[in-house]
Amino acid sequence: MQLTFDDDVEAFRAEFVAFLDANLPSAEEADRPSRSSADVPEWARRWQRLQFDAGWLLPGNPPEFGGRNASILQQYVHLEELSKRRILRSFNPQGVGIIAASLLSFGTPEQKRRWAVPILRAEITAALGMSEPGAGSDLAGLRTRATLDGDHFVVNGQKVWTSGAHDADVILTFVRTDPDASKHKGISVLLIPTDTPGVTRRPFGSIASPDDLDFNEVFFDNARVPAENLVGKLGGGWAVAHGSLGHERTLLWLIFAERLADLLVDFRPVTTLDEDRYATLVMDAHALRWMGSAALAREARGEQDVPALSVLKLFGSEAAQAATEAAFESAGAEALDHPALTGPLSHLSLEAYVSGWFERYARTFSGTIAGGTSEIQRTVIAERVLGLPRG
Amino acid sequence: MLSEFDEDQRLWRSTVRDVLAKECTPALVRGAADAAADTGGPGGQRGCENDLYSHPRRHMPLEALWQTYTNLGWTQLVDPSEMVELAILVEELGRATDPTPFLATMTQFVPLAPGVAGAKQSGAALPEGITARRDGDGWLLDGTARHVLDGDRADWLAVVTTEGVFAIPAAQASVTRVPVFDPVLHVAEVALADVRVGGDNLTGADPEKARHQALTGMATTMVGACQRVLDLVIEHVRTRQQFGAPIGSFQAVKHKAADMHVAIERARALAYFAALTIAADDPRRRLAASMAKASAGECQSLVFRHGLQLFGGMGYTWENDLQFALKRAKAGEVLLGTADEHRALIAKENLTLAGVDSRAAHV
Repeated sequence: MQLTFDDDVEAFRAEFVAFLDANLPSAEEADRPSRSSADVPEWARRWQRLQFDAGWLLPGNPPEFGGRNASILQQYVHLEELSKRRILRSFNPQGVGIIAASLLSFGTPEQKRRWAVPILRAEITAALGMSEPGAGSDLAGLRTRATLDGDHFVVNGQKVWTSGAHDADVILTFVRTDPDASKHKGISVLLIPTDTPGVTRRPFGSIASPDDLDFNEVFFDNARVPAENLVGKLGGGWAVAHGSLGHERTLLWLIFAERLADLLVDFRPVTTLDEDRYATLVMDAHALRWMGSAALAREARGEQDVPALSVLKLFGSEAAQAATEAAFESAGAEALDHPALTGPLSHLSLEAYVSGWFERYARTFSGTIAGGTSEIQRTVIAERVLGLPRG
Repeated sequence: MLSEFDEDQRLWRSTVRDVLAKECTPALVRGAADAAADTGGPGGQRGCENDLYSHPRRHMPLEALWQTYTNLGWTQLVDPSEMVELAILVEELGRATDPTPFLATMTQFVPLAPGVAGAKQSGAALPEGITARRDGDGWLLDGTARHVLDGDRADWLAVVTTEGVFAIPAAQASVTRVPVFDPVLHVAEVALADVRVGGDNLTGADPEKARHQALTGMATTMVGACQRVLDLVIEHVRTRQQFGAPIGSFQAVKHKAADMHVAIERARALAYFAALTIAADDPRRRLAASMAKASAGECQSLVFRHGLQLFGGMGYTWENDLQFALKRAKAGEVLLGTADEHRALIAKENLTLAGVDSRAAHV
């Protein structure tokens, strides 16, 4: 047990801080905000490319993929420094964090060159097509069908919740290629360019606003996709799904640690009851970092304890939700104001922080619903950590 | 900032576990509880004082257990730099519902009076209730301290006053064991009637730092007790069949068990964070100790409710061992300040520590 990092990690941190100080885009440069999770303004593309070229975008990667072969602890302090400044490294986070990462794990050399590197360098943007109207928590129930016809797959079906799809150049799409195989075995993954004839994207508003357009319905109507766009093996989609969701899973809890850290600054307790809730936030923020560091230590040793990560996700997302509600309430009637500035304004931060307390609170439900609901996490913990029998 | 135990610490934990599995058995704990119930605990006669069964020097199984601990050198973990190792030990003792005065001696008395007690002696702390007034070249200690953990079976007492911390032989106090709901726990009222002390009795200890050690010790032992409750619950719901299936296969049961696990993990994380800030003499130890105690308190609340509920009627009987862990955890909550009180301290301390930028206070 130790309270501080070793020197090599701190030296790495100092090097990154120096890079940030020298290269962060100025407010003048950042002339327009991002509108969705695949809308990357020109200035943000330059910013992402700068990080890629300097090996700071995904430090754990080798240099040709935007990194410097950093250790897991170095990756942790890298994200910690970004979080301290409320900076996004990419305005196409799923493209960088999930799609490109999946391609690097499962793609062919050609797919890495043609798709992964351009995504990482913000030349193109990507969206993730997993959920369907009938396949949410039960992802393996997906029904979007892809049939091989010569050297093309013909795709028919519908995805939903596909964040940023209307601004994305390509969608990593989970499809059923073998309807006769068992539920998990008939799934494959295709890279589907969004300009393919037969692909229709329909963005829809979120609970925050009809103008908050990130979610999409995506329809495939006899969309013809080159067979070379198959990622991984035919029928090997479940492995890619696990890999995709697993990428940076060890660090996924950090997003909640960041929200808690932001709230420690933005939540100003007024009443005694506010102070009581603020104290819970202080404890949760410390506990999550400390619990998460055990996962880091395991990863650093090359061990994986996937069910333990469910504990971090469940705890982190629910703590952030409770603390945001408390902050909302402590704002009193001011919490009605929308839009409103509820944290320090940063041109490099998430839109959420200029969107009022209600929106910040509502957005916490993406933490408890997306990426495996809290209910799913509890079941995983009961069965895979505590060893209770499957129902 | 790495919360994982290193290899030595893991080995230490497994050693402690093995010893306690052999020596501090459920049967021994039940024996201590039944003895208390026969004489002064719940259901027994009131006001037992230094009776046959409540004093470890005379109660053979507890005497032997204490001997085991001291022979193994467990009472020599007195340096604050060894707080993590002590916490590992104390967590396991909480898990085993340790019936000896180890917790009071090592996490309450010793930090207030280092080097005073012999390796086989026990001590208790009187953090409040006693005043010291000057009397010539010495002081007179006077007053009554209530709900003193193990005050009735201590060889030494550490008395906190505005004049300093004094260590005195327990024989100079008038001690009465108080019946409490946890039959294994010893709680006493300790009265001092103008006990004369001199400069030799001053320990020079920092009562604030000692308080952090006491809070961390209590929090850690509560975490251990909560873990014991969860262990028993898991065993129960895996085997108990209703509607043709183990009740642990029902989601309503699973989700409660998962919440218990998360609450324990959170409290354990904060307990060891506190232990480490003490070992490293980190300025965050005041905040960390209160966080440890508050989270342990919140943890026991949920673990008690869900634990007893999931056990159904079986957990509601004297025959079931669940009661010992439940009571140890619940008693810990009301000793040394409740979760509510510590949350109030946490808010103030963090707002002070952090100033405008709370991130500075982060791990």
